[in-house]
Amino acid sequence: MTVEEDENGSCDTPGAILQNIRPTRRSTTFATMPLSTQSQADDEQYVLVASLDNARNLSNILKAITFKDHAIFTATPNGLKVTVEDSKCLQANAFIQAEIFQEYTIKEDLVGFQINLTVLLDCLNIFGGSTVPGVSTALRMCYRGYGYPLTLFLEEAGVVTVCKINTQEPEEPIDFEFCSNNVTNKVILQSESLKEAFSELDMTSEVLQITMSPSQPYFRLSTFGSSGNAHYDYSKDSDMMELFRCTKTQTNRYKMSLLKPSTKALALSCKVSVRTDSRGFLSLQYLVRNDDGQICFVEYYCCPDEEVD
Amino acid sequence: MDCVLDGNCVKAFGKAIHALSRIGDELWLDPMVRGLALRSVNSAHSAYACFLFSPLFFQQYNLGSVSEEGNETIKCKLVIKSVLPLFRCLSSIERNVKRCQISISAPCDRVMIRFFCRHGITKTHNVRFQESEALQAVFASHLCPNVLKAPARLLGDMVTHFPVSQEEITLSMTSLRVSLRNYFEGAKDHIKTMHTEISLHPEEFDYFQVGVDSDITFCLKELRGLLAFAESHCLPVSVHSSATGSCVVCRPVCFSVEDMVLEATVVLATLIDSEIRGPSQPTETPVPTTPRCVHAATLPVGSCEARSNIPHDITAVTELVTSSQDSPIINPPALMQLLPQTDIPNEFCVPDAACPSTSTTPASTVICSLLFRALSSDEDDDSCAAGLNVLACYSDGEETMEDYPRSFLLGEVTQDALHILTFCDVAQSRSK
Repeated sequence: MTVEEDENGSCDTPGAILQNIRPTRRSTTFATMPLSTQSQADDEQYVLVASLDNARNLSNILKAITFKDHAIFTATPNGLKVTVEDSKCLQANAFIQAEIFQEYTIKEDLVGFQINLTVLLDCLNIFGGSTVPGVSTALRMCYRGYGYPLTLFLEEAGVVTVCKINTQEPEEPIDFEFCSNNVTNKVILQSESLKEAFSELDMTSEVLQITMSPSQPYFRLSTFGSSGNAHYDYSKDSDMMELFRCTKTQTNRYKMSLLKPSTKALALSCKVSVRTDSRGFLSLQYLVRNDDGQICFVEYYCCPDEEVD
Repeated sequence: MDCVLDGNCVKAFGKAIHALSRIGDELWLDPMVRGLALRSVNSAHSAYACFLFSPLFFQQYNLGSVSEEGNETIKCKLVIKSVLPLFRCLSSIERNVKRCQISISAPCDRVMIRFFCRHGITKTHNVRFQESEALQAVFASHLCPNVLKAPARLLGDMVTHFPVSQEEITLSMTSLRVSLRNYFEGAKDHIKTMHTEISLHPEEFDYFQVGVDSDITFCLKELRGLLAFAESHCLPVSVHSSATGSCVVCRPVCFSVEDMVLEATVVLATLIDSEIRGPSQPTETPVPTTPRCVHAATLPVGSCEARSNIPHDITAVTELVTSSQDSPIINPPALMQLLPQTDIPNEFCVPDAACPSTSTTPASTVICSLLFRALSSDEDDDSCAAGLNVLACYSDGEETMEDYPRSFLLGEVTQDALHILTFCDVAQSRSK
């Protein structure tokens, strides 16, 4: 990865020419002015160009899935999907639809690459991630295609940083074959109620057991720790329960270490849907609202630890 | 045992557990007819706390299957670390918990603590316990010559002046004032550390009785939990203590709060500095002339005189005391009269054989400790731990408490002066 601070001169990497930005120049339209001065000709080279006025709309959601260093980026005309996997048992996906971006241009049906997510997040937060209102980091993400690095142009208060992050051959994300037809149990809860439960979960327990049933206890999270066990029961009539559709009593256990990272996504979300299919695979889908109130989704798929009937 | 607490009481219960967690690592749960007792003791056995919640505290209180087999209710010992997280966030408990059910059922080894929360959420915790004999310290508070009752925030406000790291403090009581100061071991600390002393006039207290002028030193950290509890419930704190009448007798201090539905007690061992007990002092009988010599001698006299608000009398008495180490003093008549009345018969003193060893040890601090042994009520006195001269064992259950003689007895265990003290239950013996 190369990072070049470009304040006074043009960038010398091919295809990324910026107008001179002098530190003394101040403009009220910080976000769009410097980045939009790129000439049209350069854009021809990119298969993917995506711009955001507020880079936090991307970085915040990526933080919810950063439990491993590497992520697979898959871009389609619909938007961007970022996938992180762990030990072939857990998969997390963050979806940022095309509509979220101020500019989203894609020249192919599918553009994919693998990238170091930690480095990407460091770059997105290169200006320190200040939360001063009115000041945000603008982002222009450009990708020329297979073999090329991902180029990020980040601008805040007249200062532009160009980052180039090496990309790798994208691995095929696991297909958990989780389809809606196979879903036996589904509940949608307001995240508020689950946040407390997850923060109190007994971490000495190796597994998190999820029981879903059309009868008592309806929806139960259980842990089995060194000092005893604990059960969190959510009644189907609870006002935190937005949707309750359980057809069959199912109890499945999932490794606590795999599910722990999902608490980050839970913390950002306002609603969560919990689904299990006939095999006991778990799908957690989180509805996240970004800084501008737009909706993005994060989902986690997890294999069961063992079948418990 | 099965009991239900309503939302408001769960917070108080949680606060009690927080206070107990400051004392020891284990929590004894003892359901009795007169209420549910939560107790803890520290590993050095120098601090004991008991929170007794009467049946009125609970929405429902059932002792369960006591009658059938004639067995006592199960007494259990839990690891505090497994219970404290359940009550950690008291503000969220206050917001969300409507009811809490606690039950112990015979066949399984778990205590079930179930929170019924808002929004149709139920949290059930099954915490492992060990069956154990009840832990109990017996303290004859009515025999204490010195009794203070401080309004809810007074003591709490006083101790905030001491740094959090302050281990021990000294409480001095005379008929004219009460003061708290920090305690340091060894002279070298005097120069580098900040000395704090806070004095209060007797009128600040709801009840003030100083039978014997005294200086007692105890661990502050272990007390803070109770003070926080008292403050949150706006309950006055009672302090029962005695003077260190003789060089080897050390008496614990008892702090307690009570209201209609609960009683909380913390009994702390007090420190004796054996530097004071030079070889010249007699050891067979308590020496009436040295009631306050224990700590006064370690403090710079200057600090006593510097305070302008001390009436002239106090200064004079203090001076008397600090010189007692070197020369015989003439006590004011008041002190002489009080000592024999404090029901501390000489025959309960440490046997002579043991005394010389302690008085000739090099100047080192002797800590009196309370030792609670899980003795069953029918165990013979003589079979107590080797070398003990304990004349009575503490009671094991509520029923034996009523007949128990209201006195405390002591014995000495080892050469390095580990004192064992047993006390009557404060709650029972207190008669105001």
